Amino acid sequence: MLLEPIFWSLFSLGGFITAFLFPVTLFLLFFAAPFHLWPTDPAAYSTFVGHWKEPLVRLFFFVLIGGSLFHGTHRLKFMLMDAGFKGRSAEAFLDIILNGVAIFGSLGALFYAVRGWLF
Amino acid sequence: MAASDVVFRVKRYRPESGGRPTFQDYRIPYRNDMVVLDGLNYIKDHLDPTLTFRWSCRMGICGSCGADVNGQPRLTCGTYVRDVRKGAVTVEPLSNFPILKDLVVDFDDFLRKLASVTPYIVRKDWGDLRKEYVQYPEDVEAYRQQSLCINCMLCYAACPVFGSSPEFVGPAASALALRYNRDTRDEGADARLAQLNTKMGVWECTFVGECSVVCPKDVDPAAAIQTLKFLATMRHMRRLLMPGSSSR
Amino acid sequence: MTGREYAWKRRPGWWLRNRRYLMFQLREAGGVVCALYGLVLLNMLIQLRAGESAYTAFLNLLRTPPVLYLNIVLFALVVWHALTWFMLIGKAQPIQFTRQPLPWKVVFGINVLLWLGVSGAVVYLIFGGI
Repeated sequence: MLLEPIFWSLFSLGGFITAFLFPVTLFLLFFAAPFHLWPTDPAAYSTFVGHWKEPLVRLFFFVLIGGSLFHGTHRLKFMLMDAGFKGRSAEAFLDIILNGVAIFGSLGALFYAVRGWLF
Repeated sequence: MAASDVVFRVKRYRPESGGRPTFQDYRIPYRNDMVVLDGLNYIKDHLDPTLTFRWSCRMGICGSCGADVNGQPRLTCGTYVRDVRKGAVTVEPLSNFPILKDLVVDFDDFLRKLASVTPYIVRKDWGDLRKEYVQYPEDVEAYRQQSLCINCMLCYAACPVFGSSPEFVGPAASALALRYNRDTRDEGADARLAQLNTKMGVWECTFVGECSVVCPKDVDPAAAIQTLKFLATMRHMRRLLMPGSSSR
Repeated sequence: MTGREYAWKRRPGWWLRNRRYLMFQLREAGGVVCALYGLVLLNMLIQLRAGESAYTAFLNLLRTPPVLYLNIVLFALVVWHALTWFMLIGKAQPIQFTRQPLPWKVVFGINVLLWLGVSGAVVYLIFGGI
């Protein structure tokens, strides 16, 4: 059965998620404080732990991690195949490893998102 | 060099001797209104009758005269020398295709791919052929853009994915599949989507978009392929989740 | 036919041949970088669970100069990926209210405005405002 349409759909969804949510999120977490572009440090432990109590914030990060992983691993697969990693066995190998990373990463994000909230 | 001259640097390849293609320079008279095809014909008529290239209508409708001009896939009949005349004008055979001789490429593979998408109206029942099939202007508009394809293969020359994956069905064949899928007289959409819903069908495309940039007829095959990806996915999910339902 | 065909091979540096190919490769790289940041965020959540010192150590690692400068380059690729995504939406999924679909530049503008709105919502809903 061709799984490509399903992974492409997740890739597309991930593309929307990363395009709309990543720039502002990464800016606030990693660049706002070091370059003094924000009054507070949104990533500082004490601040972030406060936000982390909100289910919406937990859901947000789960969606962001899942989306970016499915999006980026799909692109990486095609970049590697374009660079010469071709053939049925090579493609099967990439499919398993890269989609595996996306699936396990998303499950990991789900676990850490609900840990401390639902259990 | 006189201002009224231009140098054409043309890729030559002789199949009898094999080896590698080489460049050969020709200095020809320049006119302000000449196209690259005019230059090639001047070379063949006056300087070197062995130069081999395809052409026919010289007005951008037959799709025969595709070549890489200064590294870009162009129709030689539609490319004015004044627009590409920065120093020499380099003319090479279309990228991504095997070379038969000089500027002539082997496109049997493209014809096979075109045939594979059943590029004609398919119906279970034709009914009374003396009756016309009614189509309103909006029905025609739905497939008009893709129907403009002249099979010139500039899109295949531009596509880097086709360049490294020769089995990829490619832009033009996909656009023409969509043209027939969108035709209200056609009943073969499901079979075409099944054909394209494969690894070397639409899923090989990474939306580089260069095919649509070089298309001389604004067919926009890149957008057609993305639409086909969406349609193929919808069909795939329907068959997965609702196997009993009808296909269209 | 006598003689042999000359088999064509794509050159390794094909994507340096014109500006559009280069922009495409950067766009693809930006997509891969998104997955990398996904893993970084996942690790952030893991370190958050591990405690304040582990979390702060990881965050400081990302902010020390060599890694910080690398982050700037990677962030630029992520932003380029977002911009090209907005440019492609108009072509990949045409929005049509009239006889012709909306031109991609119009869709791009709409997406940029949407992105500004969504970013503002993220600032207030996720990060607690300014």
